[in-house]
Amino acid sequence: MTRGCRPQGRVRVGSTFGLCPLRPPGGYLHLVAMFRLQGSKVLAVDMTGDAVKAKNGSMVAYDGQMAFKKLTGGGEGLRGMVTRRLTGEQMTVMEVKGRGTCWFADRASEINLVDLRGDKLYVESSNLLATDAGLRTGTTFTGLRGASQGNGLFTTTVEGHGQAAIMSDGPAVVLRVSAQYPLTVDPGAYVAHQGNLRQSFQSGVTFRTFLGEGGGEAFQIRFEGDGLVYVQPSERNTIAGDL
Amino acid sequence: MGFREMNSKMIEATVVPGQRLYSQRGAMLAYKGEVSFTPNIQGGQGGVMSMLGRRIANEATPLMTVEGSGTVLFGHGGHHIQVIDLTGDTLYVEADRLLAFEGTLQQGTMFLGAQGGVMGLVRGQVTGQGLFTTTLTGHGAVAVMAHGGVFEVPITPQHPVHVDPQAYVAHHGDVRNKLSTALGWRDMVGRGSGEAFQLELSGSGVVYVQASEEKL
Repeated sequence: MTRGCRPQGRVRVGSTFGLCPLRPPGGYLHLVAMFRLQGSKVLAVDMTGDAVKAKNGSMVAYDGQMAFKKLTGGGEGLRGMVTRRLTGEQMTVMEVKGRGTCWFADRASEINLVDLRGDKLYVESSNLLATDAGLRTGTTFTGLRGASQGNGLFTTTVEGHGQAAIMSDGPAVVLRVSAQYPLTVDPGAYVAHQGNLRQSFQSGVTFRTFLGEGGGEAFQIRFEGDGLVYVQPSERNTIAGDL
Repeated sequence: MGFREMNSKMIEATVVPGQRLYSQRGAMLAYKGEVSFTPNIQGGQGGVMSMLGRRIANEATPLMTVEGSGTVLFGHGGHHIQVIDLTGDTLYVEADRLLAFEGTLQQGTMFLGAQGGVMGLVRGQVTGQGLFTTTLTGHGAVAVMAHGGVFEVPITPQHPVHVDPQAYVAHHGDVRNKLSTALGWRDMVGRGSGEAFQLELSGSGVVYVQASEEKL
């Protein structure tokens, strides 16, 4: 998405159907695989000899010539491999290379396209379906937020110029956060975020919670700064949901 | 006649006297008019021999005959439904994916070994289809169930299509299929990309692929 395409204020952007063409500032330096959505649950990638990284085993069909190769350690080298083992953010990634169209899908999850223009996307490794081969992936510490989401203290980051596809349980809404409009999200419904955002952990625990009369919204994550947050219409099981 | 899609998970069928409909037993959701549902012990068309054939081939899903006049709503298990109109060609589909089909279609069972010999058998085992599959031939509509949405990929002689066996739903047309393997040393040491087996479909026709790797 280009700057001009972004709506002002907090607006539901809807699923980013690749409406705004991807154009890195320096123009196309290399061949870029084109990501497009076919329906809301299938990702089609048109490739002309270039490569994409995708979740292991998520290919459902292809035409043309394709080669599938598992990237040990997510293609991040030995250090990345060790980090992923230690942080529990293992992901099995394969590199798909070839000419033609390749279709990806996973357990009928809804798919959202994310355009990255030098900024960083934070996403759970289990929610990441495919990325452009030119994007760098890594792990980062999330602290209390991760623990409250019920998926560990670490999360996956994707950065660079290109497209990524993330999965959500139900169609995700993209909420914009700006300086005037901070956003608070249920940890169980949070999927991913991108941009320059600070996150803080908010607790609504009162004496009622201890009496077992809490509203089921004991913990929230608050985002401040400038960026986008992806929220799914479904809640994972978290500690916060029980309180 | 034919089927009308109410939404992605429900279809409406019009039943007129003299034209029967077959559907999976228990898939009726609601109906209007005078419609009768009779369990079909034979599990479809043909005589006792066809029944035996299906039993042996393990392609015998409980079917029921729908007759009368009125409209019937069908749906099952919240699965997505794809309506396929056949115009004289043959649809290959697993019996448990069949939700409903018109009586004008000729139902049959095909031995996978008949197409591709031993590789056909291996293919059936790998894809979980077993050794047999169901065929429907003629003119009429078929409602097929799939997990997640279905999308169709056209197959042309110049463009063969490769499909993940678990995501394959059905295909029709003049299509040859074979199992292609991309087994390498990586797979042997448990470091495969998860795409070791693919169905290669070539010829001319259409293949239906679901947005999931889960069986029904």
